[in-house]
Amino acid sequence: MAAGRKNSIPIAYIGNRLLTFFLTVLIAASVIWLIPRLSPVDPAEAMLGRMAAGAGFVENADQVLFDLRERFGLNEPLWKQYVVYLKNLMVFDFGVSVANFPTPVSHMLAGAMPWTLGLMMFSVIIAFVIGNAAGAYMAWDNTPKIWKVAIPAAMIFTSIPPILSGLLLMWLFSAQLEWLPLTGSYGLLVTPGWNWEFILSVIEYGILPALSIVVVTFGFWALGMRGLMTTVQSEDYVQLAKAKGLRPRYILYRYMIRNAILPQVTAFALKIGLLVTGQILVERIFSYNGMGKLIYDAILNQDFAVIQGASYIVILMTAASVLIVDLIYPLIDPRIRHGGGR
Amino acid sequence: MSGNGKRILWLGTLALFAASLFFIPYRDPSAPTERIAREDTVIFDLDRTIRNPGNFNWLTPGVKRLHGAHQAMWEPLFILNYANGDLEPWLGLRIEGNDTHDIWTLTLREGVRWSDGEAFDADDVVFTAEMVINSDAVSAREAIRFQSQVSSVRKLGSHRVEFRLNKPNPSFHIENFGVLNFSSFLVMPEHVWKGEDVGSFEFDPPIGTGPYVLQSATSQRAIWDRNDEWWGLTTGFRKLPEPKRLIWIESGGQENRAQLLSRNQLDAAQHLSLGIFEAIRARNPNVRAWHDGFPFSWTDPCPRQLEINTTLAPWDDPDMRKAVAHVIDRQQIVDIVYEGSTVPSKTLFVQYGAMQPFIDAVVTAGFELPVTADVAAGQALIEAAGYSLNDDGVYEKDGQALEAKILANTASAETTGTVDLLVEQLQRAGIDARSVPIEDGVFWGEVIPLGDFEMSYSWLSCGSVNEPWASMSRYTNNAIAPIGERAPGYNNTGRWNTAATDRYTEIVNQIGVLSLGDPTIPAQVAEAYAYLDAETPFIPLVQAAKVLSFNSTYWQGWPSADNFYVHPMHWWNSTHLMIHELRKAQ
Amino acid sequence: MATTDEKAARQRAKRLKRFDSPWMNPKLMTGAGILLGILLFGLAGRLLWNPDLVYIGSAPLNLPPLGFENLRGETGVAAHPLGTQSSGRDVLALLIVGAPNTLFIGVIASLIGMATGIVLGFSAGFIGGRTDDVIRVLADVMITIPPLMVLIVFQTSIGEVGIVMMGVLLSGFMWQSPTRLIRAQVLSMRESGYVRMARLSGASTFDIMFKEMLPNLVPYLFGSFIAIVTTAIVTAVGLETLGLGPQRVPTLGRVIYEAIDSAALLRNMWWWWGIPTGLLATMFIGLLMINLGLDEVSNPRLRKV
Repeated sequence: MAAGRKNSIPIAYIGNRLLTFFLTVLIAASVIWLIPRLSPVDPAEAMLGRMAAGAGFVENADQVLFDLRERFGLNEPLWKQYVVYLKNLMVFDFGVSVANFPTPVSHMLAGAMPWTLGLMMFSVIIAFVIGNAAGAYMAWDNTPKIWKVAIPAAMIFTSIPPILSGLLLMWLFSAQLEWLPLTGSYGLLVTPGWNWEFILSVIEYGILPALSIVVVTFGFWALGMRGLMTTVQSEDYVQLAKAKGLRPRYILYRYMIRNAILPQVTAFALKIGLLVTGQILVERIFSYNGMGKLIYDAILNQDFAVIQGASYIVILMTAASVLIVDLIYPLIDPRIRHGGGR
Repeated sequence: MSGNGKRILWLGTLALFAASLFFIPYRDPSAPTERIAREDTVIFDLDRTIRNPGNFNWLTPGVKRLHGAHQAMWEPLFILNYANGDLEPWLGLRIEGNDTHDIWTLTLREGVRWSDGEAFDADDVVFTAEMVINSDAVSAREAIRFQSQVSSVRKLGSHRVEFRLNKPNPSFHIENFGVLNFSSFLVMPEHVWKGEDVGSFEFDPPIGTGPYVLQSATSQRAIWDRNDEWWGLTTGFRKLPEPKRLIWIESGGQENRAQLLSRNQLDAAQHLSLGIFEAIRARNPNVRAWHDGFPFSWTDPCPRQLEINTTLAPWDDPDMRKAVAHVIDRQQIVDIVYEGSTVPSKTLFVQYGAMQPFIDAVVTAGFELPVTADVAAGQALIEAAGYSLNDDGVYEKDGQALEAKILANTASAETTGTVDLLVEQLQRAGIDARSVPIEDGVFWGEVIPLGDFEMSYSWLSCGSVNEPWASMSRYTNNAIAPIGERAPGYNNTGRWNTAATDRYTEIVNQIGVLSLGDPTIPAQVAEAYAYLDAETPFIPLVQAAKVLSFNSTYWQGWPSADNFYVHPMHWWNSTHLMIHELRKAQ
Repeated sequence: MATTDEKAARQRAKRLKRFDSPWMNPKLMTGAGILLGILLFGLAGRLLWNPDLVYIGSAPLNLPPLGFENLRGETGVAAHPLGTQSSGRDVLALLIVGAPNTLFIGVIASLIGMATGIVLGFSAGFIGGRTDDVIRVLADVMITIPPLMVLIVFQTSIGEVGIVMMGVLLSGFMWQSPTRLIRAQVLSMRESGYVRMARLSGASTFDIMFKEMLPNLVPYLFGSFIAIVTTAIVTAVGLETLGLGPQRVPTLGRVIYEAIDSAALLRNMWWWWGIPTGLLATMFIGLLMINLGLDEVSNPRLRKV
């Protein structure tokens, strides 16, 4: 790619990535729009009927229902409904919740997102760091024997979905030892806001959910890192560095990890989708205030608008994380900058 | 570190900061300003979200009373004490009906004051009553009931009020002013409400006559602080209650509730399944339920039942309904869903002491419900209707499988658990039953009142606690809405309307005008019950058990079977009696 | 340097003597053994144990496994060796019926996904051009969409599904990674000697694809298959623990869902959630072992570790 010869990211590359991103979101949004329309009962119509029932409790219910009917455009042809749907998605307008009528779904999502993102940042970063360190050590020639045995043993956990490790940790630390709370995301008696009591409470309640994710995901990074390290180890430049007599630790950081970490970053982005959904299940078993609980409650209440909105957001998050990594990748990997494409 | 490494590090840190921005959400304006020690605070459990914490207009729907408003702030006129059947005077001194039970005279207590210092008197009662009678915007159950019964109100004196009814009602006083069930007709201050629109007024900040005033309310928590100027102290009615602060919190499910109890962060809890209760008790011996042993539970006044839509084939055939009744095993429901914490229903009535004469009359007449199933008898009835078992073990007629969809309100595990078991019992007898989960708002808002169901699990014969009429009157043909229109007051939602209903209605209407305690009532109940038994418009299942836990770590004096001074429903208007009995532990 | 190479060569020779082929990898064998064991447990269990004990009320409630005591002080009985749960279902029966169901869902999803992946991967790599573009972009796009979310939407709007249907639904998300993998391999193989030779000798495209190239891809395909079985089971268990998926037919995820829902953790009924969790974990460990083994088979460099 000629455009990429200079020190900038090729435009075509960016265009390509953006296109994939939009296509992903568009296809996913279309699928979650289409699926309910394959069922014999039109969910929009059914939802409206149920809202009308719930609306007995709301002062301006008639107006809200009228607006909804307009917005769904129920009497319009299908393609028009589809266009309206896409237009609403762009401004994160998913309609109103049936179970919490007439709260807009977007408000509920906005309330849940900080919890989910916070927990994810916390757990995923810890897992990534520990995992890569463990993987690198495992493959390094100078690692003490004991670690070479201990790390693979710990990795047995990696094959287990976080919901199972979560159950185990809940049982051990909450039900049996009573060290940490079983469910919830902060103590009910503390007042949410910027005060130490609340922050400490959030941390106390966050430890177990985060731990249950870390325990089972760090091994994934470790495994990948080990594979990459074994490859890197035999590369010429590492051999050369060894021959030059550089310190092993210096070679480890400067030559090996640095080169092995790049594919890990890509894997990280691709894995986000799985991580988010895994975490949603963890949130469900811990009754954590995030998206997981929102989705679980919506399933119980058959609150379709919430399910649709939450699915869309999770898909958007996943696609966006892939896009971001794709875009920053050339900045950290000179090979892309010069070669263009992947 | 290399340049690239640093870049990664920077990007990571940046991402972390960006994420933490999400955590700057809100500063709660309602945070309690003053510290009150835990041992001066009582924490009550709320089983739902306060959807509209800034609205205290109890006449319009929403969670506006049970978050402390009618336990701490608004006082009732009288309290029917389930413990002894007495009608305890509170804001009212006495209320008497005339011989025909259609004119009632209320006398109020003197010296009662609103928390802002204004006097509470007959003007407030007359104002509130007229506001409710003349409004079409009220929808609270207590307001609707009052509206439908009362034709006019008149002030007889500064503390005396007369109510004229549309038709005789021997239990007018208990139904409306006595906290018969959950709440009562709450009197509002005229000086605040005057000139406001009933449908849209928010009454924020609210005032009441009770010993506590609102400190703050959010969707998950309401805090009430003691008003040391309470009228009861100055008039010598009662001493100030000991707790300085009362808090209601939404615990959010049984597991959270259990945790709060075991960590002493909750003093009075809502229902827990018996298994969970036992687990809590093993950890925190200060927690106890109504009974200190089996069945542990307090009997809820609303026995559980299977509601059947009597207009839909094949369940419009009384024999088919009877067949379903035969294949239901009540003991199994008790054993499995309630883990032994309740008993099977003998009749449609709640098994309280005051109901015993009526239950006995029905039992003597031979209409006692069986404890276990008689599948053969049920199958015989189904076969008599022309069905035969197919290869899958399901009954079939003209190629049509015998199906039954049972609606389950998803709001409680008890409901879904019972419906799952009923499905299993019906399946075993050859009826292809299925459970259909329905969200709470839709369940009560649409399908039940509109009659849009085949069968459903509910408690709509609920009402009687000290006389039989309240429950029996709910299945008369006095006001039957067609399918698709709202059944008034959730009465007869199964639309039972046959010749037998007419005969039944006649007898129940007669009972309705007799004084409470009239000796002819039990015999008439048995006579009417014959029609219920013959046509089975609904199937009573089990007594509802509530395992309500009280924690004595900080507060003692909670009601229990051994200390039965009031019924233990701490989300009811009757909680005023409870609060005054609480004593600090140690 | 030379000495290490010699040592490695000698070791490899020793290994070759010990095992006839790289397929006789100990990790691979252990993993396969574990999965076979679970399958056998399910199949034999159905013959030796009463599968009707999975229905509500078919057994006493809350009994602990044999040799343990529950909160009420009741001890386990031989009639229900792994205990019972709170609505009177026998845990052993639940496992016997549930475990094969869970495995079955994963296998159906992966078989369909794999078959689709093979066809699409080969088409993309071999035909190239527009076909390649479309398939590549589609696979890239679909791999980012989390299956759980779409399936939640599906199940809440369509309603209850059975075991087979669940597998079929999942398969819609299992073809992307085999497609990408095969496409990449085909692209690099297309120019290799033996394929060129085959083409020169006039073999048809179909023959080249499936007779010449496919056999060489088997280790990759196998690895990919195991990976997607794992993903499929994880997704299925996820759906089940949210209360979706088959309802009256027990699966391991459904058992765990009911345990969580009835607060088995608080009630210290560890056998109810713990045994199915353990079984699922064993299943995943088995799959991981197979995957690790296959890695070593196809990437001999890893074998020395």
